[in-house]
Amino acid sequence: MRDGINIAKRGIPAVALVTEDFWPQGDFVAESFGMPDVPRVRIPHPIAGSGDANMRRVAEQVVPAIIDALKQAHVPPQNL
Amino acid sequence: MNAKSAMNDIAVTHLSATDESAALEQLHELGCTDGLPVIIPTPERVARMVLASGYDAELALGSMGPGGGVASIEKVAIAAVMAGCKTDYMPIVLAAVRAVIDPQFDLTEMQATTHCTAPLIIVNGPARHSCGPIACSFGALGPGFRPNASIGRALRLAMINIGGAKPGVSDMALLGHPGKFTYCLGEDEENSPLPPLHSARGFSPEDSTVTVIGAEAPHSVMFSGDADNPESPNALLDVLAIGLANLATNNAILRGGNAVVVLNPDHANVLAGAGLDRAAIQQALFERAAHPVEDMMRVAPGLASRSKDGEQAPKRAFRQADDILVLMAGGSGLYSMVMPSWCAGPNKNSAVTVAIEIDQFCEVPGMSSN
Repeated sequence: MRDGINIAKRGIPAVALVTEDFWPQGDFVAESFGMPDVPRVRIPHPIAGSGDANMRRVAEQVVPAIIDALKQAHVPPQNL
Repeated sequence: MNAKSAMNDIAVTHLSATDESAALEQLHELGCTDGLPVIIPTPERVARMVLASGYDAELALGSMGPGGGVASIEKVAIAAVMAGCKTDYMPIVLAAVRAVIDPQFDLTEMQATTHCTAPLIIVNGPARHSCGPIACSFGALGPGFRPNASIGRALRLAMINIGGAKPGVSDMALLGHPGKFTYCLGEDEENSPLPPLHSARGFSPEDSTVTVIGAEAPHSVMFSGDADNPESPNALLDVLAIGLANLATNNAILRGGNAVVVLNPDHANVLAGAGLDRAAIQQALFERAAHPVEDMMRVAPGLASRSKDGEQAPKRAFRQADDILVLMAGGSGLYSMVMPSWCAGPNKNSAVTVAIEIDQFCEVPGMSSN
């Protein structure tokens, strides 16, 4: 989440992938670092170690959402 | 009645309640406690704690992640009051907060990790007596010692209420460990064959310091010495190194962090009797805390493979011998303690030692027991 925020603050469109269980933490971090609307996409939990086939399946499911988020991503000038 | 609670700027929020019982329930409901009852931080109690600090209430020590709250003297005083500290303890509480705020400590990442890590506070120097007494011997990490219990708790309450660490939301520790309530001890310098820990970390023995390290719960290491066996000291070093960096630890797999060895007096004397000073003990543990690559890959292929140096020799858990903190505390007997660590964060959640500023402390007559 912080990677997404830090990259966005450098003016580079970014989307954070956040698993279901960490979604509230993502909201907390986004709020704390002053970018409550930083783009993020929800993915299932757990993802690490869930196997290559599952990760590919998840990737295929979320790619459209990632692209949509990137299209909408804007970086407020004051955060550059 | 009125009470104060910390917010994410220099100002504090004033709460109202009909009496102390209602205030306690309010603080529990707001998530401002550790789950145990707290002393209500009334403006009068907080003002006394601030007065004892010798600093202005608005002096900012820094910000505490992940919430980014400003740790002012007043907010730290609120945590100290809530934790049950005497005003005498305030210099140690302030030092502990300053230590975790140091960028080397990676507080933001440490508070947010899924690992169980908690800040272990090690107190050295004369402040163990003048700002305590901090328990250093039998049961020092257990119940029964108000300074140890409340100082560690004050740091935790600061991490919750100033740093914003809330379980499952911003503190993602999967289980945590009991040291997240309080985790504080002193080194038994007077009885140790080793010079005090802080003298090996850039301070004079006459200084008073707090060393804070993100640590797992203490792991017991059993060892019975044998004065007739010249290999006895080596056997002790072997079991300490196993405890410090066995293949289940982050230290063995992620590598590069710190860890703590708390020798009991018997074990300290076994090593000192063999002619080992602190540096030699650290070096011996450093050399032993290593694992063949194939063993690491067998148990943790996804994590150990992050190592990119390509070496085939056993991989050391520590970057250097000094990364293993060695001190003496506790009662005499079979058991020493080791605390592995998290070993992540931009600076590997490095241990930090800071001076306890006793000179600033303002003793207020009649108030030291409040």
